[in-house]
Amino acid sequence: MKRISLFTICFIIFIGSWVFLQFVIGGVISKPIPNSVIGMYMALVLVAILVHVSVEDSRFLEFLRPIHETLVDDKYRVRRLVLVIAIPVLLTGFTYTNLAQKTPPPGDPRDAHPTPPLELKYKDEVIETMQKAQNPYRHYEKDDPEAFKSHVENGRRVYYDNCFYCHGDHLDGQGHFAHGLQPLPANFQDPGIIPNFQESFFFWRISKGGPGLPASGTPWNSAMPVWEDHLTQEEIWDVILFLSDYTGYKYRTFGEGH
Amino acid sequence: MLRKRIVLLSILLGFTLFISIQVFTQEAPEVSAKGKEVYEESCAHCHGTEGRGDGSAAENLLPKPRDFTRGLYKIRSTESGELPTDQDLFEIITKGMPGSSMPGWETQLKTDERWEVVSYIKTFYDGFKESETPPRQISLKDKIPYSDESVQIGKGLYTDLGCIECHGNVGRGDGTSAPTLTDEWGFRTWPANLAENWNFRGGSDTEDIFKRFIGGIAGSPMPAFEGDSFLHFGLTSEESKRLSVMENKDEMTPDEEEESGKLYEKMDEAVLVALDRVEGTELTPEAQKMYDDAMKIVYEKSWHLANYVKSLSPEKRPETAIGNNVLRSQYMAEDLPILGDEAWDTLQESYYPLVGQVVIEPRQFNPTIDSVRVKSFYNDTEVAFLFTWDDRTHNTEVEENEDTGTSYEDGIAIQFPVKPPKGPTDEKPYFLWGGKKAVYVWQWKASAQDQITELTVKGVNNVTVQEMQGDLSVKGEYNEGQYRLWVKRTLATDDKKDLQLESGVFVPIAFSAWDGANGDNDIKRVISSWYSFVLEPVPSSRRFIYPPIVALLTVGFLFGLRGFVLRRNAVSVETDTEQ
Amino acid sequence: MKTKLLTSVAILLVCSFGLIVFADNHEKSDEMEKLVFPKAYTVKAVSGGGKISGVIKFDGEVPEMKKLEITKDEAVCGAEDKFDQSVVVGEDKALKNTIVYLMDISTGKDFEKNPKIEIDQKGCKFSPHVQIVPVGQRITMLNTDKVNHNVHIFSTINKPVNKQQTKTRRRMPLAGVKKAEGPVEVKCDIHGWMKAWIAYVPHPYFAVTNEKGEFTLEDVPAGTYKLGYWHEACGSNNKEPVTVTVAAGGEVKQDFTLKLKK
Repeated sequence: MKRISLFTICFIIFIGSWVFLQFVIGGVISKPIPNSVIGMYMALVLVAILVHVSVEDSRFLEFLRPIHETLVDDKYRVRRLVLVIAIPVLLTGFTYTNLAQKTPPPGDPRDAHPTPPLELKYKDEVIETMQKAQNPYRHYEKDDPEAFKSHVENGRRVYYDNCFYCHGDHLDGQGHFAHGLQPLPANFQDPGIIPNFQESFFFWRISKGGPGLPASGTPWNSAMPVWEDHLTQEEIWDVILFLSDYTGYKYRTFGEGH
Repeated sequence: MLRKRIVLLSILLGFTLFISIQVFTQEAPEVSAKGKEVYEESCAHCHGTEGRGDGSAAENLLPKPRDFTRGLYKIRSTESGELPTDQDLFEIITKGMPGSSMPGWETQLKTDERWEVVSYIKTFYDGFKESETPPRQISLKDKIPYSDESVQIGKGLYTDLGCIECHGNVGRGDGTSAPTLTDEWGFRTWPANLAENWNFRGGSDTEDIFKRFIGGIAGSPMPAFEGDSFLHFGLTSEESKRLSVMENKDEMTPDEEEESGKLYEKMDEAVLVALDRVEGTELTPEAQKMYDDAMKIVYEKSWHLANYVKSLSPEKRPETAIGNNVLRSQYMAEDLPILGDEAWDTLQESYYPLVGQVVIEPRQFNPTIDSVRVKSFYNDTEVAFLFTWDDRTHNTEVEENEDTGTSYEDGIAIQFPVKPPKGPTDEKPYFLWGGKKAVYVWQWKASAQDQITELTVKGVNNVTVQEMQGDLSVKGEYNEGQYRLWVKRTLATDDKKDLQLESGVFVPIAFSAWDGANGDNDIKRVISSWYSFVLEPVPSSRRFIYPPIVALLTVGFLFGLRGFVLRRNAVSVETDTEQ
Repeated sequence: MKTKLLTSVAILLVCSFGLIVFADNHEKSDEMEKLVFPKAYTVKAVSGGGKISGVIKFDGEVPEMKKLEITKDEAVCGAEDKFDQSVVVGEDKALKNTIVYLMDISTGKDFEKNPKIEIDQKGCKFSPHVQIVPVGQRITMLNTDKVNHNVHIFSTINKPVNKQQTKTRRRMPLAGVKKAEGPVEVKCDIHGWMKAWIAYVPHPYFAVTNEKGEFTLEDVPAGTYKLGYWHEACGSNNKEPVTVTVAAGGEVKQDFTLKLKK
């Protein structure tokens, strides 16, 4: 049995690392990794390989042998010819596409979870601190299911009279105006939205809308209206009840996990 | 004695109750509890709990949610005047209706829930129960495949059948009848813009178009072109052609009178058979054959027409992805092309969808302008733009109309920040007409089509016409349901309130447009988010210089490496032999 | 004893019918403005029938007939001025285009044999403005103007109709309908101002008033009937029809004065 050469092993490790970073970590496990980060990892891999092969002279020679043979040995004339054409062509093509690429527009870095202010306000009226503010109708859920139901129903009415154009019939952020908006309307069916925020956060986002965002949330881009201009406090709390009632997700409550 | 009376009275009471229960149960349709529950949870807020299309959200919607109590359904696979099949209803619920606020429910409701809703909405109209025979379906066999020839035949029919009255000469929904159309409930309605088939409510496949055409769109002004109302029903294609020639003459010769008279007789005969069929009279085999032969031609022609309508739209909706949707102005060394120049055809359009402005009162919930398409060229001193958008009506002034409401002037506005943001984190002005930070706006109105007003705007209520109006070249035109606006400006101006343009700098750009006939005026309008505009830098010549250098260097390196190794080998061989 | 029993039967029956009527009204409040048809009608030769006639007058200030805006095909449609036909008042306040009919007749004469029912669209105007059509009878739409029309009939009980009548098609017959219905609106969407009414009726005791506001119902079998009317702008008397008694060979006069619906 012919032994696999050290060079081939190193080559496989190198390519394998790249595939692992690009597709396994950056695809299967999590989101795609930026090319610059991949480049850094690959540089590390390369250094590790070089250190490994150059620790002993014999190993280094063993490593270099295939390269050496390809360069000089007459047995490998065909391989030499292929490489001497393929390597320059690849590098040339790479240089060309890199130069011909159009510059992309600057990104719009946006904090999707902006920090809320300390106080929850409706117009200029302070309701409570952001942490302590509660949905005043939430307690009906246990105390008076009938009253709770009527608040949810009112929330449903408010939602379909005002919100569904953008946030969609299914509360999935795919309303019939959504395709013209950037950032896209919030998707309440996303498990990362409702469970991560308190009801007071939602009240803040609804009442103050896009213009009420801090600069990190790019308030100039958001088409979310300032709903305190159109809706009463009760209507806002009711629509908050409706959102969780419809989707089945529960808002985060302060002190959870204790 | 008393007991007898009590017995009698109770019998009577029982009888009365029986009758009243009978009456009430007749009124109450057989309701599937599940369907009712799903309907009330998911549909009633638009369609109303009683199915009258009057849910709380209906007020701001156009097209209005369907009123199920009249049994009129737009999207059917059935002939004119027939009810839809259950499958038709199921498909609409599943897929939704593009261009309206009806979404598809495939992800939200399970298959059996959607079927339950189908049977529930059928209870709103008694006709479903009463019809003894299943609705007659439109046959889709013998479809004529798409070809240029078929499209040409369809184009002729499009005019002959009078489609242009509403849909306009080239199909942009700008026919002369378009501004006065209402549906059977008295709500305003617009003919489809056939060049934007992604908004077709019943789908954009050729089969969908064919079905809408044959079966009509019930409740709307769109007639059904089935059977006997088709042009020259009962005549062969040749006879029809011949008759058209004669009909288009101002006066026929006696011979022609006779010839056409015979053809009319033949038509009448076929028409009477078609009416017999609709009325439910059983046809004799000869009559049936006459009818089938006539219908074969109708269907054939209808496929041609469907192919023609299909040809009016792009193959798919232009890409609306935002990140990649940069308006790149292309460099040219010579003078910039004017409106109508062929040079514009060499550029690909950038597509910017426009949506209703629902942020600030008065809001626009029912936009009629789909999008604006833009192209741009620049040279060393100037930049030129070509903006194109479809609008079914050409409104140049304020007009009061009792039936359709007041209409205003059409227009468009192109919005930039006064200064481009310095980096991605630099603050931009508010996307809708600016705010604390001002925007620089070009406002164009249909009444002054060769003029643009430069505005400085800091919010919808803070609009200032710039004192110094720049030297902009402007040409606008309205043709066949489409506006085209050409604008040219110098890259740099002397006015501090103007945006200064530089190659390679990304500038935010946003649009507002007004369709006056749709009540758009001032704040009520259609809008876009911020997009990016850039004077695309001249592709540097480096891309032709560097790659060959790289190639040469690589080859050189490879040969050098080989030479080096060969030499070292020779040396080591020498030393070996010396040893 | 017997009388008491009968009284209670009668009371209970009245109650139960009241319930029925109540249920019906509750369901169909918006159908009050439609014509009322008998449940069934039997044709029987009438000899020595009576006659009901009268004049319909308009009560109140006569609204000015709105001039219609001709938005297209001006050469043909705008050749002469057109006016809204919803209230046409002639001399001495005579009200045209009112349907007067017997609501509850169950036996009587047959329809005229092969009546010629034509609605003309000349000059982009339907004439007549109100047309009575026997159930099952075909209507012929006329078009001599060489412009495209579409005949759109807003039926809800019968199958709705919306057919293009292309400019070269001079005569377009429409299929007869199965059920009595109406009046239903007829529109041409191409020429949005064109509007008319069709009533599909199950018996021949219907009349439409002429320019003088006159109507005549002939060959009415002797008996007592409810006399109804319907007018586009003034509504109907479905809630309180007038009762007339016709003697064999006699003539009954019944005039009406109508006000605009609120």
